[in-house]
Amino acid sequence: MGSREKILGQIKANKPESLELPAIDLGLFDEGLDLLQEFTKKVEVVGGNVIQIASENEVQAKMTELFPDAKVKYSTLDETEAFNTLSIEAIQKPHDLEDLDILILKSDIAVAENGAVWLDDSKIPMRVLPFITKHLVFVLEEKSILGYMHEAYANIDDFGFGVFISGPSKTADIEQSLVIGAHGALSLTVFVKK
Amino acid sequence: MSHSKLASIFNKDEKKVDWHDKALWFVRHKRDLSVHQVKGWESLRDLGHGIKAHMLSNLDSYLQEFEKNAQANGVEVHWAANGEEHNQIVHKILKENNAKKIVKSKSMLTEECHLNPYLEADGMEVIDTDLGERIVQLAKEPPSHIVLPAIHKNKHEVDELFQEHLGTEPCDGDPQYLTHEARKHLREKFITADAAITGVNFAIAETGGFVVCTNEGNADMGAHLAPVHIACMGVEKIIPKQEHLGVFLRLLARSATGQPITTYSSHFRKPKDGRKMHIVIVDNGRSEQLSRPDFRASLHCIRCGACMNTCPIYRRSGGHSYDATIPGPIGSILSPGKDLTKHSSLPFASTLCGSCSNVCPVKIDIHSQLYKWRQIITKETPQPFVKKASMKMMGTMFSKPSQFERVGKLARWSLRTLPKSVINAKPNTWGKERDLPKGPKQSFDEWYAEKRKQE
Ligand code: SF4
Repeated sequence: MGSREKILGQIKANKPESLELPAIDLGLFDEGLDLLQEFTKKVEVVGGNVIQIASENEVQAKMTELFPDAKVKYSTLDETEAFNTLSIEAIQKPHDLEDLDILILKSDIAVAENGAVWLDDSKIPMRVLPFITKHLVFVLEEKSILGYMHEAYANIDDFGFGVFISGPSKTADIEQSLVIGAHGALSLTVFVKK
Repeated sequence: MSHSKLASIFNKDEKKVDWHDKALWFVRHKRDLSVHQVKGWESLRDLGHGIKAHMLSNLDSYLQEFEKNAQANGVEVHWAANGEEHNQIVHKILKENNAKKIVKSKSMLTEECHLNPYLEADGMEVIDTDLGERIVQLAKEPPSHIVLPAIHKNKHEVDELFQEHLGTEPCDGDPQYLTHEARKHLREKFITADAAITGVNFAIAETGGFVVCTNEGNADMGAHLAPVHIACMGVEKIIPKQEHLGVFLRLLARSATGQPITTYSSHFRKPKDGRKMHIVIVDNGRSEQLSRPDFRASLHCIRCGACMNTCPIYRRSGGHSYDATIPGPIGSILSPGKDLTKHSSLPFASTLCGSCSNVCPVKIDIHSQLYKWRQIITKETPQPFVKKASMKMMGTMFSKPSQFERVGKLARWSLRTLPKSVINAKPNTWGKERDLPKGPKQSFDEWYAEKRKQE
């Protein structure tokens, strides 16, 4: 308890007089984006890939076509019994997911200005999944794409863990050369249902 | 050692300095391209500044609000007055959980507190999992940049380090191969870790949650796999509301690397059932910095690194020349607040060009603060005799126009007539590594008077 009181006391004594909290005026930023077009552009900028679809049923076939050698697959879409090769319930430790090749998740918030897709506990059966998988796939409807981060946060409320993911994992720590596939996903594909 | 002495060590390898300079300028350039695409960027920076200033002026209440909400979320909150106490707290949590193998993602705060050696002294294994940090950890060096920790190393040095420590094949510094090998090596560490330590980019008072930003995914691999997650934050990481993340996440990555957002922006609020989450809130000199009206805005910093990438001194002297956890312009205004004598040369490691203040996403007046520290340091710490004497001489000279005119004449004549060996002789530091211009015949005053007469 000692340090807590000490720190708070010192801050109280040293802080300046209260300054006003500025309000965020969204009108300052809006540039009337074509949301799907901007989102697609930004996902590509960050190393991902957007595919437009008419129905969710196309996703699994498309993924099997893109990654014919994938063995361990998991999807949270409806009717995925034939696609899934593992059952999350049977996983004892998250560590058992080390060989996961493809993970398909749904999302209902995406952001055009930076290509980010929001996921939270309600969309991720196990928190480590989107990070440990080799190839990551999101499925969302066009109407889920919002313009800016401000709007995304206005639509996010209760969650235990949530994450914005924009593109596959990457690093440029060796002489500034960009390498896709650091610790997280090696590739990212977003399916957008028109 | 002073900044200039350490900088001259870095400058021994001229080719490396050139590369370092260009590489960082390229990152600055990417930042420009990215921010110019954002409508209202300047308003966004104003907001960033305003929210942080408001936060600091109510910091004690926001910290308590954060604590209350975090506890309600099932997170244990700890308070550390200084680095030593921070290390003790982290050590105690690890002990209680029987943790021997620890994975850590980037956290400048734990660097500041020297956590690794503290834990290692008790036989714990601490692995830095950010690739750049792992590289400098293997090289037994501190990071030289807050976003690009290994920017001072070239790929061949990394190649050699990995051969020695990870048993990789010689690859002529192939970044793809080396990164892939690091991924395999660190996967094994993630899978077997007993605890994960992360930093905190933003802590939200309103929700008790916190956000960690990475590109590699290392913070998440650590935090979700290990049974215990400890997040360490400085008191100034607080922001009032979730909606403010919209402002800061838009500013951070664009300023840092030019990306529109980091790959992963992870929002931690509640631990998963059966898991433990701890937050350590650290002061370590921050509340003291808050007491200095001229310098408190340095606590706005969101650690994007933009001021380093743009700084003509940093780019040519390297991060290690600052001999401080946070190098570059921001480090040079933070460090003197901690130890004025040790860091007294840092505020002078600047041209005061103001480029840092120009790019800073939260509008810290970095260059004015550098200037203000200079005033204090010149008064409070002993100055080298030559500097003191020459400043005094200059003062007298500038105070009398006739004298200034005479000295000017002499200087112009000397630059025209004296041999280079005299002009670039040792006492003239301006002649180091550069040729001085040929002295013009006329002074500006004379030129101006003559023109007026002709008109
Ligand atoms: S001082 Fe400003 S520019 Fe420098 S690291 Fe901090 S936020 Fe970025």
